[in-house]
Amino acid sequence: MHVNQKNWLWNGVFIAIILGLCASVYLAGKRIDYSWNWDRVVPFIINSDPLEIVAEVDGTLEFNEQGQPQIYPYDGGDPQLIDPTLALSLSEGDMVYAGDVLASIEQTRIGPLLEGLLVTIEISIISLLFAVVIGLMVGLMRVSVNPALRNLAITYIEVIRGTPLLVQIFIVYFFLGTVLELERFTAGVVALSVFTAAYVAEIIRAGIQSIPSGQMEAARSLGMSYPKAMIYVILPQAFKRTLPPMAGQFINLIKDSSLVSVIAITDLTKAGREVISGNFAPFEVWFTVALLYLVLTSALSWAIQRLERRLAASD
Amino acid sequence: MTKHDSNQPAAEAPIIIATDVDKIYPNGCHALKAVSTTVARGEVVVILGPSGSGKSTFLRTLNQLEVINGGSILIDGVDMYSKGTNINQLREQVGMVFQNFNLFPHKTALENVMLAPLKVSGREPKEVEEHARDLMYKVGMDQRMQNYPSHLSGGQQQRVAIARALAMKPKIMLFDEPTSALDPEMVGEVLDVMKSLAAEGMTMVVVTHEMGFAREVADRVLFMEEGALLVEDNPDDFFDHPSHPRLKQFLSKIF
Repeated sequence: MHVNQKNWLWNGVFIAIILGLCASVYLAGKRIDYSWNWDRVVPFIINSDPLEIVAEVDGTLEFNEQGQPQIYPYDGGDPQLIDPTLALSLSEGDMVYAGDVLASIEQTRIGPLLEGLLVTIEISIISLLFAVVIGLMVGLMRVSVNPALRNLAITYIEVIRGTPLLVQIFIVYFFLGTVLELERFTAGVVALSVFTAAYVAEIIRAGIQSIPSGQMEAARSLGMSYPKAMIYVILPQAFKRTLPPMAGQFINLIKDSSLVSVIAITDLTKAGREVISGNFAPFEVWFTVALLYLVLTSALSWAIQRLERRLAASD
Repeated sequence: MTKHDSNQPAAEAPIIIATDVDKIYPNGCHALKAVSTTVARGEVVVILGPSGSGKSTFLRTLNQLEVINGGSILIDGVDMYSKGTNINQLREQVGMVFQNFNLFPHKTALENVMLAPLKVSGREPKEVEEHARDLMYKVGMDQRMQNYPSHLSGGQQQRVAIARALAMKPKIMLFDEPTSALDPEMVGEVLDVMKSLAAEGMTMVVVTHEMGFAREVADRVLFMEEGALLVEDNPDDFFDHPSHPRLKQFLSKIF
């Protein structure tokens, strides 16, 4: 009872601090000479502007034998055919000039920011799959008794962890990309998965080594080979223990994917930069981009927490 | 019947023949010094000795959890260290029970018993499950088969571990201080299972501190100290007429 009351108090303090921070950010935003204009961001997320059909040539609007509207150019070239189902804002015989709006279609499309978000999701998921596969292999090599395998794994991990991801992306794109003729998206996936795999490998190594040696001994004493003991006894237990650090690494992967924008992959970050260069609302756009990343990482961390709770059945 | 039928020795030949077994750890510790002994089919051998005497190490050489540095070990006529020997096939015939149970925590009790037969022997799942249920009944764990190890007491876990080792239908069972990690009131239930196993004629090598078990169940008792096998005797002479001065000293400390 007493403890509960204190918790209420401290929860209140927490909310007060958060509200205070929000208020000070708001006031700081007011003080600077910047006209906040959040509704300018909306079309870049969901674009509900009508799609306009414009004339391509100067000419007159007429209907052909089949009743299909066409624009016959003055200079006698090929007529521009128009979809007959459109509700035209002109009637037969009207003169039109190139660029005139002939009709407009109601529509809702995803804006460039959401398109960028989809690219970020795509590149993150593909890189994650490769990172887990490579990381598992390197992690197993890392705990192997064979010095060749072990040293290869150590070298890989040290080289990758010891150099910045940004530099690795440039090397993969400009050097490997040139040698192997990689597309920029492929180069981005290679750089991200190779980078993340080094960390995944270390997490898996730590997970395997955290399983008591008696587990391997028990499995081997039952006649299981080393690979079978790994697959059926050690890795399932290690997997459970590595989930929390793995979640952190996957969240890092999503955030690190913003770096591929430097090789002109239009991910969420690059889309944000492009939008800003067109509408000059940098503050709103960057806040929106940050929020979209946060939605993505929160969803992932929620999913992994659920998985953890399900695996806790045997505890 | 087994993979080793072709060179199966006569039934009278010992099932375990250890000759001059040497074990030196990389840190220089000389854990086993020319240990030689044999175990006959159906015999129950108990190994006693102070801690650090090498008795557990010797037991672990019998299924190659410890690799030896000298000597030889034959299991049912098969040289453990000859080139053609498949150690995994050999281990299927030598069950082992550990001090700390080492049950697989991510599997239920029944799954623990079924895992190796399913993944190693390639037996029919139905047959494996039936056999596993029989074994659980035999060790008195048929009521707790769906429990995870973390929900079982130490004594219950150790009984599941015995069932798990028996599931591979081994010819030999090794017990490495099976009751040392148990609360005193649970020692009896594990020893009872071991006694019934001995009564069925299972070949058993047991490292333990349970003198009562040694005296009651053992056909032969070995005494080890500092990596050497000092005494091999029947339990009556071993306990009532100890010959070796080191053994006398050891027994006087216990009784």
